[in-house]
Amino acid sequence: MSYKFDFAFMADRWPDFVAGAWLTIQLTVLSIALGFALGTVCALARVYGGPVVRRLVGAYVEAIRNTPLLIQIFIVYFGLSSLGLKLSADVSAVIALTVNMGAYSTEIMRAGIQSIQRTQLEAADCLGLTRLQTILHVVLLPAMERVYPALSSQFVLLMLASSITSQISVEELTATANLVQSDTYRSFEVYVVVAVVYLALSALYRFAFWLIGLGLFERKRRLGTPL
Amino acid sequence: MKTVSVLRLILGAAFALLSLGAVAHADTLDDIKKAGKIRIAIDLAIPPFGMTDDKMQAAGSDVDLARLLAKDLGVALEIVTTTGPSRIPMLQTNKADLVVSTLSITPDRAKVVDFSLPYADHPSVVAGMKSATIKQLSDLDGKKVAVVRGTTQDSDLTQKAKGAQLVRYEDDATMALAFASGQVDIIATARSLLPAISKKNPARTLEPKITMQTNYLAIGLRKDEPKLLAWVNNWVRTNLQNGKLVAIYKQHHGIDIDPALLLKAGG
Repeated sequence: MSYKFDFAFMADRWPDFVAGAWLTIQLTVLSIALGFALGTVCALARVYGGPVVRRLVGAYVEAIRNTPLLIQIFIVYFGLSSLGLKLSADVSAVIALTVNMGAYSTEIMRAGIQSIQRTQLEAADCLGLTRLQTILHVVLLPAMERVYPALSSQFVLLMLASSITSQISVEELTATANLVQSDTYRSFEVYVVVAVVYLALSALYRFAFWLIGLGLFERKRRLGTPL
Repeated sequence: MKTVSVLRLILGAAFALLSLGAVAHADTLDDIKKAGKIRIAIDLAIPPFGMTDDKMQAAGSDVDLARLLAKDLGVALEIVTTTGPSRIPMLQTNKADLVVSTLSITPDRAKVVDFSLPYADHPSVVAGMKSATIKQLSDLDGKKVAVVRGTTQDSDLTQKAKGAQLVRYEDDATMALAFASGQVDIIATARSLLPAISKKNPARTLEPKITMQTNYLAIGLRKDEPKLLAWVNNWVRTNLQNGKLVAIYKQHHGIDIDPALLLKAGG
């Protein structure tokens, strides 16, 4: 009850927090981009692929969505290293986060793809579009537009989840917080600062995804209503 | 009127809680006796100080010390499991009454917590595989060295081995795993940890290369607890002299600690 807040350490240590936040941004932007690409391919495979491909993608999605992210990170970092494939902590983190992101975006994109009405596909057939043209122009973008809110939430969640990569010595934002906390012993203040930085990052990501959404979805830009 | 009285009720309750908190803060030793239990923070991931044995029970030299202390105080022991970086916050936020968790005495830490007399000495070393040629800290330049974040090894190497690439893990278990899986080949840690790591990885045996400094392990307390501090100091002195703490150390570490040296180091 007699706790006195002391944020004096920020005068010296703010560059550490900036560096940590920058690494968090780099890691997560890369993982989101790669993971979303992986997820989109897997979603198409899950909807249009043959029975074997569908089963394989299904197994991947279930395996990832039903195991903790921390365990997946440990498997990539310690497991592969035991087998002789030494990956740095940063690379391991991007791989694990990408694989994780891929599984979740597979399911989200699958929902979007399956929501495209049959009549729309028949119209594409009537216009003589090939299968690939149909997928690219008629299916993917509207599918993405339908599930865009869910996708962007998942992207922000991944950014927040990236905090556990501090466990494998990635010097991102949470690792920075732990380091500063262990130097200054101002644990409460450090975690308050870091919570505020994460909050700001989330707001930044949401704003960026909103802008990207406006750029991608012409209909939404013109009408302002969800599909 | 009604909102006013509700507000008054809330304020009253808040003040009552505040004053309770102030009383609880006043004297931890009395509180411990009243509660009939002492909460001791121990990291159970640093064998042989703190670990979980094959029956999933807490074990190790810090655990045995905590058990002996609770028995002598006549209260039950509640082990609060902690990690290296959260040992001191555990005290600050009143999640534990004492910390017995390989806590070395350092000037920085002494600013925020009080230390008892030392109960063991604790050299920290840079260790590598037999084949590695490491004689001084400058030999670490450009090499990856694993440490646990926030430990004395971390701050020592950060200052003295600027050329080394420090890889920071959250606890000893993760650091040991990083060595075992080949992510790092050099670790900076307590000498006491080396036998346990080597025993589990016969292919990758560690040996101490450089002794960085000898620290003294002590029991950590919140500041301004004179009664508790006096009791703990007296207890450490008694049990060093009667050989009980020496026996605990011998049993878990295979090393004889020197009570005279420790009492001298503690002043």
